[in-house]
Amino acid sequence: MHLTLEFGGGLELLCESVKVHNVNVDMPKGADKLTMKDLLAWVRTNLIKERPEMFIKGESVRPGVLVLVNDCDWELSGQLDTTLEEKDVVVFISTLHGG
Amino acid sequence: MACNLSTCNSSGCYKEYEEKDQNNSKTRAAVKGSSGRQNLCVKCKSSEPVCCGIGGEDSRFCKDCFKNNLYGKFKQAVTYNAMITPPDKVLVAFSGGPSSRVLLQFVHEMQYRAQKNYDASKDKSLPVFGVGVAFIDESSIHSFASKQTEKAIEDIRSIVSNLAPPLKELFVVPIESIFSSDGIDCKERLQKLLGALGDVTGKEDLLIHLRLLCLQKIASENGYTRVVLGTCTSRIACYVISATVKGQGYSLSADIQYVDSRWEIPVVLPLRDCPAQELNTLCSLDGLKIVEMLNGPCSGINGLVSSFVKVLQEENLSRECTIVRTAGKLTPFHFNRIPEIHDSNVPSATRRHHRRHGLKSNGSLSSESFCAICNSPLKKSNSSESPQTSDPCVAACSSCQFQILPKDPSLMEQFVSLLPRAVITRAKHGDRGNVSSVREQIQDFLLSDEDDEV
Amino acid sequence: MEDDTKPKKPGTRLCCACNQRRAALKRPKTLEQICRECFYAVFEEEIHQVILENKLFKPGERIAIGASGGKDSTVLAYVLSELNRRHNYGLDLFLLSVDEGITGYRDDSLETVKRNELQYGLPLKIVSYKDLYGWTMDEIVKMIGLKNNCTFCGVFRRQALDRGAALLKVDKVATGHNADDIAETVLLNILRGDIARLSRCTSIITGEDGPIPRCKPFKYTYEKEIVMYAYFKKLDYFSTECIYSPNAYRGFAREFIKDLERIRPRAILDIIKSGEDFRIATSTKMPEQGTCERCGYISSQKWCKACVLLEGLNRGLPKLGIGRNQGLNSDAKEDIKKDGRTKRSSSGLALHQEIGMWLNGRETKGDVFLFDIHPTKVFQIEGITQIVLNTWLMGHPPKSIVLVHIVS
Repeated sequence: MHLTLEFGGGLELLCESVKVHNVNVDMPKGADKLTMKDLLAWVRTNLIKERPEMFIKGESVRPGVLVLVNDCDWELSGQLDTTLEEKDVVVFISTLHGG
Repeated sequence: MACNLSTCNSSGCYKEYEEKDQNNSKTRAAVKGSSGRQNLCVKCKSSEPVCCGIGGEDSRFCKDCFKNNLYGKFKQAVTYNAMITPPDKVLVAFSGGPSSRVLLQFVHEMQYRAQKNYDASKDKSLPVFGVGVAFIDESSIHSFASKQTEKAIEDIRSIVSNLAPPLKELFVVPIESIFSSDGIDCKERLQKLLGALGDVTGKEDLLIHLRLLCLQKIASENGYTRVVLGTCTSRIACYVISATVKGQGYSLSADIQYVDSRWEIPVVLPLRDCPAQELNTLCSLDGLKIVEMLNGPCSGINGLVSSFVKVLQEENLSRECTIVRTAGKLTPFHFNRIPEIHDSNVPSATRRHHRRHGLKSNGSLSSESFCAICNSPLKKSNSSESPQTSDPCVAACSSCQFQILPKDPSLMEQFVSLLPRAVITRAKHGDRGNVSSVREQIQDFLLSDEDDEV
Repeated sequence: MEDDTKPKKPGTRLCCACNQRRAALKRPKTLEQICRECFYAVFEEEIHQVILENKLFKPGERIAIGASGGKDSTVLAYVLSELNRRHNYGLDLFLLSVDEGITGYRDDSLETVKRNELQYGLPLKIVSYKDLYGWTMDEIVKMIGLKNNCTFCGVFRRQALDRGAALLKVDKVATGHNADDIAETVLLNILRGDIARLSRCTSIITGEDGPIPRCKPFKYTYEKEIVMYAYFKKLDYFSTECIYSPNAYRGFAREFIKDLERIRPRAILDIIKSGEDFRIATSTKMPEQGTCERCGYISSQKWCKACVLLEGLNRGLPKLGIGRNQGLNSDAKEDIKKDGRTKRSSSGLALHQEIGMWLNGRETKGDVFLFDIHPTKVFQIEGITQIVLNTWLMGHPPKSIVLVHIVS
């Protein structure tokens, strides 16, 4: 599945300062859909190069990291259970960095 | 060992220059650390130390001195605040946990000494205060095997009976008995009430409140004059943070004082200056038996707060004390002292104590109004500015409105009908003037809420 | 599925305000789901109401916006200039930035501020540590290392903002502190026992007795909404953690607040409410304010904190003034008390210098120095633990600072 992932608010520093990643993520084995939960696990292994604790806490994002799926707050689409579709744009923004 | 933390943490502690107080312990610890540690109790300088207080290396005590030190804090709290006087009958709330276990032990020792003095005195003029023990059985809420509860209660019976003489009455009372005067199926009613609450934190807080009401009931029905709680420094530290988080900044100082006589029977906290860590240490040193905790761990806001405070405490061993000290600087309320006693039986020493420690009577009791649910004092919100609010008090504090009262106004009446009568009658009289009933107040609040929306 | 007709995800819902457009976020304050356009409207309107209700500005005033280039100040600059236009506040707005001199952090963020100057048409003033104090943060860190550098930076920034504001002749400085920041400060003041700051930290306007008052129009604005607003509006802001900030202790409180927000969003506003409602006796007052003998800045001591720190830097004794060690000033007090004369035999400064020289000359690992009387603070010079004992706190007659004890 082709997705566009964007990291902002300082999170890009955790993935070699690249803000936009066009990626191809495989469905988990035996599953017929890709959820945010799967994507986070994928990002954690494949994109985050340092200090993963700034991004992930438990199996979700660290509190204070905002997530938007197609410019919509993931709190409206079911957070970890949000189902992703081809060409979706997922944005992660940290609010934790200085203001 | 926890007590070594303060010395080995050589880096990362000195960053924040504002953190003045809590580094003191480290300071002194560092001095000792480098001056070659004398392996003697810091107090008596003769026995080998076996444990540390929260001062870390600085407070390496031998067993006796450690215990005396802790007992000293208890005793000081009791005498300076006139918590227990000879004619009193005190009810010790006993959960089986380390804090209340130490509390029970200390109260017993104090009573035992008083008894010895009495026996030795010629005129027998000073009576010995009476002690009762109350265990609130909450097994109807938590799903424990009844066997487990029976075992715990059996342990508690043996602990209490071993603390005689002087003999202590034991009350094992199920929490749902708070409804017993209402003449209904108590268990079902309690479950219904708690089931009506959507918020986990609200449920926990209501339960704590019911527990206190239950203790009041036992005390009142059996002629006790004080309810003694084992609330320790660490618990108060958590309370300070969670009350702040719940928006209870105004009423916070009411709940963390040595004495709280908002209730029919004054509630006292003699372990206010004792950190949990020290109480746990004493239990293991003295082999005080802890009864397996029957209550589940906190969740929701309260759980988050206790893990936060735990992390802070690990980072700095005096953090809890600092938190309590900060909150201690907030202004208490007029009811945070034992009410003035005009009884000539009261020994003059006690009265002198009152005077010396500024516990003077506050002649004009300010007309505080209280939350109908949790009994916390309410901030007089601009009532002087807006004369059109004829209602002298809003029914519930904002915290209870959010986490305890139902959101849907149509459920309000039913919810109020589930509350134990004790809550409702308390709300009826007291300092609240001629307010008719909780029900009406809550209705009033609802109306005003709707007004706002228009 | 009922969503079959809709182009996007299940769970796609309509805005609860306009009932027409797709909801874009869930508001932490109200838990409402709301579309972008309605969000912009309520976000701006709420800030407008806060400004009105608290009388933050008067018509004709000159206002400096403390601009760091970060999300909060960028959104503040954008929203304030928008509201100023929309509601005819009649304000002259300026951007005021402090250049701490941190390569790779502040130089980049200042570029952002410079772009904001053009984008919003607001005149920009930059005051630099180098100009004001003769030192950049890079140079300071080179000298003192990473410990305590935040103390320097904090003290210098506060004063730099005031100086910049004075240069711009503004009536007030507006800062981007948001609700999350204020809740965090309330908690930190409880944790460190600072009752005086606890009583002030929730005020929306501070420093009204000082040279230039400051206000926080975002006092009730959630960080989440500020970031969402900046993201949706594609505002140009800079976000990197200061490279010198260790951010450990404050981090606990920050993380706690974010954890709280997740389970109960209103907790942030509840903490602020608590902060406002605490029963703090009015007698818990701040030390009386005078002016610094050296630079004229407000100070409760003979010299202001910045001058003390600066003196240390310039003399090669950078620890001077760190850790509430009031050596210099406590001595000064003594001099004044003693029949008004200002003759001093051994000044705190000289003593610090003495200790400093003494330290530099030997292997001192593990040594401990005590001076003065009451212990207030430990700090380390080059890995050596120092214990500062201090008299002025207790109201005893202050003694000259003396090196009391060396343990090896």
